[in-house]
Amino acid sequence: MSVLEVDAVSIHFGGVKALREVSLRAGEWEIVGIIGPNGAGKTTLFNCVTGFYQPTHGQVRYRGRDISRMPVHQRTALGIGRTFQNVGLVKGTTVLENLMTAQHLQVDYDPWLGIAGSPASFAEERRVRERGDQILGLLDLDHVRHERVADLPYGVLKRVEIAAVLATDPDLLLLDEPGSGMGPEEAHELGDTLLTLRKEFGLTIVMIDHHVPLVTRVSDYVYCLNFGEVLAEGNPDVVRHHPEVVRAYMGEDAAPGPDDTAVIEPAAAAGSGGRG
Amino acid sequence: MTATDETRWIPAVPGRHAEGGPVQTDDTMIIPAVDPELDAPDPPGDEDDDLEEGFRPTRGGWLGRGVVWVFLAWLVLALPVNRLSPFEVGVADIDVISLAVIYAIGGLSLNVLLGYAGQISLGHQAFVGLGAFTSAYIVTNLQLGFWLAVAVAAGFGAIQATLLGAISLRLSGLYFALVTLAYGTFAEETLFGIAALTGGEGGKPAPRPVGFESGYAYYYLCLGFLALVLWLDWRLTRSKGGRALAALRENPRVASSYGINVKAYILLAFAVSGIFAGVAGSLMAHHDEVIVGSSFDFRLALLFILMTVVGGLRDRVGVVIGSAFFALLEEKLLIEMIERLGHFLLEPFGLAGWSIGEVLQRTVGLPLEFVGLIVGPLLLLLTITKYPGGIGQQVAPIRLWLTGHRFDRHAGAVTEVEVNDVRA
Repeated sequence: MSVLEVDAVSIHFGGVKALREVSLRAGEWEIVGIIGPNGAGKTTLFNCVTGFYQPTHGQVRYRGRDISRMPVHQRTALGIGRTFQNVGLVKGTTVLENLMTAQHLQVDYDPWLGIAGSPASFAEERRVRERGDQILGLLDLDHVRHERVADLPYGVLKRVEIAAVLATDPDLLLLDEPGSGMGPEEAHELGDTLLTLRKEFGLTIVMIDHHVPLVTRVSDYVYCLNFGEVLAEGNPDVVRHHPEVVRAYMGEDAAPGPDDTAVIEPAAAAGSGGRG
Repeated sequence: MTATDETRWIPAVPGRHAEGGPVQTDDTMIIPAVDPELDAPDPPGDEDDDLEEGFRPTRGGWLGRGVVWVFLAWLVLALPVNRLSPFEVGVADIDVISLAVIYAIGGLSLNVLLGYAGQISLGHQAFVGLGAFTSAYIVTNLQLGFWLAVAVAAGFGAIQATLLGAISLRLSGLYFALVTLAYGTFAEETLFGIAALTGGEGGKPAPRPVGFESGYAYYYLCLGFLALVLWLDWRLTRSKGGRALAALRENPRVASSYGINVKAYILLAFAVSGIFAGVAGSLMAHHDEVIVGSSFDFRLALLFILMTVVGGLRDRVGVVIGSAFFALLEEKLLIEMIERLGHFLLEPFGLAGWSIGEVLQRTVGLPLEFVGLIVGPLLLLLTITKYPGGIGQQVAPIRLWLTGHRFDRHAGAVTEVEVNDVRA
C-alpha cells in the first residue's frame, strides 16, 4: 500500500486553477522529488496534503485512508510532517523550545494538569526536553539549542526546521525546498542527511526542490509540475531529460539535447505508469 | 550529521502508528534504531536551563541576593505591621493595597489572553464582575461558604470566557475587539442590573469570610490567592499548554503543523483567563463588602489593559508591578505616598510647603490627583514606542540577578520579532 496517494486532485481559487487533476504516489520508504518552475503549484499540492487547503475535486489518501477533509493537526497526529518554504518555526522562542513545542502530541499529560503543576507533568517535561536535545544532537545542532530562532542564519534554520518536524514523529515527511539558500556542497550534505534520516527513522519523504542534482541523486521517483499539471514523471534521469521538462525550464527555444529521444512517460499516462 | 546506527534515541510514544505503520516483512527494510533501554547521551541542563552555562554566583553573591530577597519578602509580608514613616499603613491604606493585589490577579488574567494567546479583550471588567456577583450571590443568598464561592466564581468565569472565546474563533482582530467591548458594556448595563441576582442599584452585600474580617487579614488572603495564580501562570508557560499558545500566537499554521489543535488551545486560554478573573472578582466583592454593577464599567477594562501592557505582556513580574502601580494610582494612594514622602524629606529643611503637590496647586492650580489621569496614557505611549517590554523589561535585570544570573543591564530587552507570515 502506498503511504501517500494523491488522486486526481484539482483546486480552484476563483477562476484560477492552481492544480488540475494532479496524481502522485509515494510508497513505503521512498523518496519522491517534485520539481517544476515557480508557480507550478508544488506548494499548493503540499498544502492539499497537509490540510491547509481542501481540494476542489479529488482525494488525498494516507495509507489508504481518505484524509481530504481532515484538519491539519489530526494529519500531524497520523504521522504527516512538513517543513515550510520560508522556515516554519516559532521565531520568538529558542531552538530547544521549538523542538519541545513540536513534540506536542507526544507529551503525555493533560494540559490542565500541566497548568496545575502535577508531579507527572514535571517528569514528562524533563523527558520532552531530553528528547529535544537528542534530536538536536542527531542533526549536529547542539550548539544552537539556546539561541533564539530569530537570531539564526537561514541555512541553520533550514536544519532546525527538519529537526523540529522530526520531533513531531512523522512517518511521511514533506519537505518544501529544504535546499533553498544552500550552495552545491551544502546541498550534497543535505542529500546525505535525508538518506540517513530515511534509514534511521523509517521515513517516506516527498520533497520539493530546485536543486536538480540533489533531487535526482536522492529521489527514487520524480514528478515535474508545470501550470498545475504533472508534466512528466518517472525515474530521475528520465524526467531530467524529458523534452517538455527542458522546455519548461529553458523556454521554447531550448535546443533539444541528444538525450531527449529517451522514452518518457507523458503526463497523460500519469497514474497508470508501472512503478516498482 | 553524525547519526550512525549506534545512535539511540528516546522513542516517541511507542505504537502510535501501530495501526498503519510500516509492516516489516522484508528483510531489507531497515528498522530505525529505537531502543529505549540503552542510555541516551547525557542531557545537559535541567529545569533551570536558562542559566547561562558556567555562571554560578559566589557565596557573597548569594548572600547579597538573599538579603534582597529577605527585604522584598519583608516589604510584602510585613506591610500591614510596617511602621516605617513614609509607608505608615493605616486601615484605609491596607484596603487599597489589598485592592492592588486583587488587580494584580486581574492583570494576570488579561495577560493570559492578551499576552499568551494574542487575543484582545476590551470587556474584561465583565469577566471580573461576573465573578464578583457570583461570589456575592452564593455567600449572601445561598448562605454558603466563601471558599465554595471562590471556586464557583472561578468556574463561572471560565464558562463565560469560553463562550466568548468561541466567538473569537469566528471573528478576529478589530471585529472581535468590538464584540468584547459590546459584551462588557452589555454585562454592565443589563446583566449586572438584574435586581434579583445582583441587588440592582443598591448593590449586593458580600461579607468577608470568617477570620478575614480585618483589613490586615484580608490582605494576607489576597496575597495567598495571588501566589496561587502566579504558580498556575508559571506552570502554564512551562508546560504543553503555554508552548502551544506561544506557537499559535505567532504562527497558527506552524502551530497546527506541530499537531496543535489551535481552536482548542485558544479556548483553553480563555478558560484560564476566566478562572483568574473569577477569582479576582470574588476577592473584589468581599473586599468592598457591597458590590454594585456600575463599578464594572469600561474604565475598569481600560485600566486592566493599561496595567497589562505597561506592566509588560508575557512578563508576570512586570504585570504584577504594573497592576499594583495603577491600582495605587487609581485609588490616589500612590500620590498620597509621594506627598507624604515629600513632606518627610522636606520638613527638616523647613520646606514643608514645597512638595510637588503643593507647588502644582500653587502654580498651575491643579490638584495632584489629576496627575494620575495623565501618567497612565503617558506610560502607555512610552511602552508602545520605546520599551515594548514595559515595566517587566525595566526590572528584568534585577529579576534575573535575583534568580542567580549575572547582572546584565541589558538583559530582558524585548526585541520585536518581525512576524512575516510563513508562506504556505
